[in-house]
Amino acid sequence: MNTKKLALVALLVSIVSPVSQAQIKHIEMRVEGMT
Amino acid sequence: MKQHLGRQSGVQNVEVSLIDGKVEVTPKEDGQIDPAQLLKATYDSGVTAAEMDMTARGKIVKDSSGSPALQVAPNRSFALTPNDLSKGLEPLVDSQTMVTVRGQLYKKPPGKKKPDPSAPLKLLILEVQKKE
Repeated sequence: MNTKKLALVALLVSIVSPVSQAQIKHIEMRVEGMT
Repeated sequence: MKQHLGRQSGVQNVEVSLIDGKVEVTPKEDGQIDPAQLLKATYDSGVTAAEMDMTARGKIVKDSSGSPALQVAPNRSFALTPNDLSKGLEPLVDSQTMVTVRGQLYKKPPGKKKPDPSAPLKLLILEVQKKE
């Protein structure tokens, strides 16, 4: 039973982790009309 | 404007250069930053965004219309504007390969006096920095 749960957790981590490493690292804007 | 942008969710730091009109935004690592919201907040603070560039890491997926998109969070992706670089990434659709790219999310349309900041943002890839 525990082995099944561990396998399920490992599977979920392998699916989710690549997306969780995804991120916006930097944003740069050029603006007009700033005083 | 700096304070206004700094209050947006997912924003860690904002640096404004008055001389060249550059605004640099450093996101928090919580993945909550929303470029469209930043663009709207910029307009709300009374200045016009001429251009917005982004560096991001994510997976290439297909969006609901079947076009390739960069997924930067489980619930956030940006459709890719077709160019040579985006075509080079198409074989990676739905693979586990993570890519780091720099691209343009917004450019003020020439001639139009009132650009629509609520229009969906598309990513024009300018540089593929890493594939892993």
